Amino acid sequence: MRAAKLRHDRRLSRLPALLSAAPPSPRPKPDVQALSTRAARRLNRGCAWLSAAVLADSAVEHYRGMFFNRAMYAPLAVSSLTLAASVHGGSDRSGKSHPVRDGIYALAALTGLAGTGFHLYNVGKREGGFSFENLFYCAPVGAPFALLLAGLFGRAAERVRDTAPGDVPQLFGLPAGRALAGASALGMMGTVGEVGLLHFRGAYHDPFMFLPVSVPPAAAATMAAVAVQPKRPRWRLARLLLRLVQGLGFAGVGFHAYGVHRNMGGWRNWSQTMLNGPPLPAPPSFTGLALVGLAALDLLEERHD
Amino acid sequence: MSEIVPQVPRARDGRAPDVFHVGGWVPMREYADDDEVDFAIIGTGAGGGTLACRLSEAGFSVVALDVGPYWRPLEDFASDEHEQFKLYWRDERIVDGTDALQLGRNNSGQSVGGSMVHFAMVSLRFRPEWFKARSQLGYGHDWPVDWREMWRYYGEVEEALKIAGPVRYPWGPHRPRYPYRAHELNAAARVLARGSEALGIKWAPTPLATLSAPRGDAHPCVYRGFCIAGCSTNAKQSALTTWIPRALAAGAEIRDLAMVGRIELGNSGRVTGLHYHREGRWRFQRARHVVVAGYSIETPRLLLNSACPRFPDGLANSSGLVGHNLMAHSNQGVYGVMEDEIRWYKGPPSLAITEHWNYTDEGKDFHGGYSYMSQGPLPVEWVGTMTGNRGLWGEALQREMQKYIHQAGLKIVGETQARDENRVRLADEKDRFGLPVAHVTFSYGDNDHRLIAHAKRFMRDSLAAAGARDIWAEESETAHLMGTCRMGDDPSTSVTNADGRSWDIPNLWICDGSLFPTSGGVNPSLTIQALACRAADRIKLLAKRGEL
Ligand SMILES: Cc1cc2nc3c(=O)[nH]c(=O)nc-3n(C[C@H](O)[C@H](O)[C@H](O)COP(=O)(O)OP(=O)(O)OC[C@H]3O[C@@H](n4cnc5c(N)ncnc54)[C@H](O)[C@@H]3O)c2cc1C
Ligand code: SF4
Repeated sequence: MRAAKLRHDRRLSRLPALLSAAPPSPRPKPDVQALSTRAARRLNRGCAWLSAAVLADSAVEHYRGMFFNRAMYAPLAVSSLTLAASVHGGSDRSGKSHPVRDGIYALAALTGLAGTGFHLYNVGKREGGFSFENLFYCAPVGAPFALLLAGLFGRAAERVRDTAPGDVPQLFGLPAGRALAGASALGMMGTVGEVGLLHFRGAYHDPFMFLPVSVPPAAAATMAAVAVQPKRPRWRLARLLLRLVQGLGFAGVGFHAYGVHRNMGGWRNWSQTMLNGPPLPAPPSFTGLALVGLAALDLLEERHD
Repeated sequence: MSEIVPQVPRARDGRAPDVFHVGGWVPMREYADDDEVDFAIIGTGAGGGTLACRLSEAGFSVVALDVGPYWRPLEDFASDEHEQFKLYWRDERIVDGTDALQLGRNNSGQSVGGSMVHFAMVSLRFRPEWFKARSQLGYGHDWPVDWREMWRYYGEVEEALKIAGPVRYPWGPHRPRYPYRAHELNAAARVLARGSEALGIKWAPTPLATLSAPRGDAHPCVYRGFCIAGCSTNAKQSALTTWIPRALAAGAEIRDLAMVGRIELGNSGRVTGLHYHREGRWRFQRARHVVVAGYSIETPRLLLNSACPRFPDGLANSSGLVGHNLMAHSNQGVYGVMEDEIRWYKGPPSLAITEHWNYTDEGKDFHGGYSYMSQGPLPVEWVGTMTGNRGLWGEALQREMQKYIHQAGLKIVGETQARDENRVRLADEKDRFGLPVAHVTFSYGDNDHRLIAHAKRFMRDSLAAAGARDIWAEESETAHLMGTCRMGDDPSTSVTNADGRSWDIPNLWICDGSLFPTSGGVNPSLTIQALACRAADRIKLLAKRGEL
């Protein structure tokens, strides 16, 4: 991923048009530099939620798995680093990327990828192979995916931050806003896939379990539409849905806490029920992905202003 | 150690125990002995509990009596195998035959909720052809019901119990998705899976009546493996935690610690009610209909004990078949030691199953079928197997017990043939109520022996293929009871019709495992409950038509 600067000739050719822009906009012109930094910081914060979710989730689940394999420490270490880098990035107002952060994000993406591979291997070698039951109970294929996303979006944050004043940030040769809108839609659908699988394992015994497989897909669909055709009227709907998804990430923790309580002994027996019940740290991944989507919309606003 | 068993009835004074809350109560409608209730049901297990629920929900007035106590699992069940013997039918019975049954632990309970309170929760459908075993497979007897109809009722029962089963069940015709997802396999179940894959046959996570997700006030399974000692979390979906709370809510009365000693026949040729013993005295409950649901030993015993001048050989016994054709599933285990720790006591005992030999007819030198499942006996039960079945004692026993956590095993549920000489009759001895006790005779036949030998060979191969060593096989072991009051189409060769209505007395019904004409190679409770649901629907229909 590279932020490609607009070519000089294009920039120059747009300049007169910008200068002679009439009628004069009633709003003050946003500071492009500040906007891409703002979007980058939002991306960092999204990554912070994603990596925090991975850290807490892998700590609990790999502890439960008694760190049977040394590699099971890796996601803890890497997601801790990613979290630190993301918190740092979230409060960093500088308009330049940070090499250490950038490196950590690359590491996160690689670890997430390797983790997905490990988890797939774990499922495949089990009696019954890639059956639903193994996908439910073996190492969850979707979990390392969140770390992969944190790494990718973190790298994107650094590229966006590097945008020179007056440039439109780019990713994958696309305007960053569109690219991130598409990527956030894909990330969200991946996460919905995992939630869908695990809530299916829980037989959707509580109707609220349908929320995270209905609201985020709606948000993802809207973001995909935004990515394909970034027309303004869609943004408002997208923003609304993303805010809902963001809130769902928090509400999910509450729902899962209630789910833990419904296990034998409830919260008094937390050391067992937290392991057996729904994972408390999982839902905030949605908060992180929503922030990524919101950052994408920020970038689109910037481009159009 | 003294057991904690309620000595006085709990279900009275307008309330019954709330099984979901420690010390809790739910309101209960009560009837006077003089009220002629629509249905008086004897026994509250898989058959009686289900029927009580379905009939009361259909608007009939129902009193269901059980000699067992009314437990609140959360407070009454201990994590102690010996304490939990209190769930078994331990009143005296006399047994004989070359394979005399060990009654109680592995085949009959005495509780509100019946044997399901300590059952192993395996919830399987019959193979469709078994309902026409005689005409389609050439052995046993045809059932008077159609498999497609049973298939619908199986679906209802699976939903009522939120059965946790695999997403795809590999045998038999299409079935709807199980309401809850299958449980995670424990290591013992994976031994079965590995062996099956090595031998090239299918296996599956076992459909179980224990929750894999919360349900109302019931907790999901905690995988502590106390299932056949009763389940103290209410994860187990038994009659006690499913049908009976529904029955109470619909206005049924449950009478615990109430022993029915005799059913009374009136001058009209219809029964008028039943004599029962509760709180130290004999009483008489009037009823328009009486349903016997005491299971394969107590149901014929009560019918025989209710003999009267008009039916000197026992009620509903003009065919002479009451008490005959008792079947007990063969239940031999094959065990071995694994290199890895297995800890087979973790989780429900039978998490994986293969029904290969229920659905494959080639390569058999016997009639019928068998399934086998992974095993997970708790230590006391395992000691019993080592001493009783393997004859170990002293130092040898101690050495063997040290391998407990490395042990794995497979056990069949094998179809036994209905044979006339396997039967229940009355003994001269009397029980604590002064009633003649049951005399139970059981021997395996040649076909049963061939089936068992086949199963043991196959399970040995499977264990060996999974990497077990020191493999040995159990000689004699039996499980679930079935038969003794078979249903059928012909009054001369059966005791009841398909609805469980006795041929001889139109308002006397049977609704439990004793109705089975054949035993099938699967655990019976799902079929018993499906028959009960079917009977309830039929009764509703007959009532509407004025044919009750
Ligand atoms: C250890 C064990 C494990 C099992 N595992 C499974 C399994 O995994 N899957 C499966 O499908 N099945 C299993 N079963 C079998 C299953 O529990 C029984 O087949 C089923 O409960 C029988 O239902 P029923 O209604 O015929 O009788 P029961 O459920 O036994 O109910 C009969 C009730 O009638 C009462 N009663 C009898 N006579 C009288 C009387 N005269 N007066 C008052 N009350 C009376 C008894 O106290 C009892 O409560 C298991 C059984 C045992 C014991
Ligand atoms: S293992 Fe599950 S079903 Fe069995 S006793 Fe424990 S909680 Fe109940």
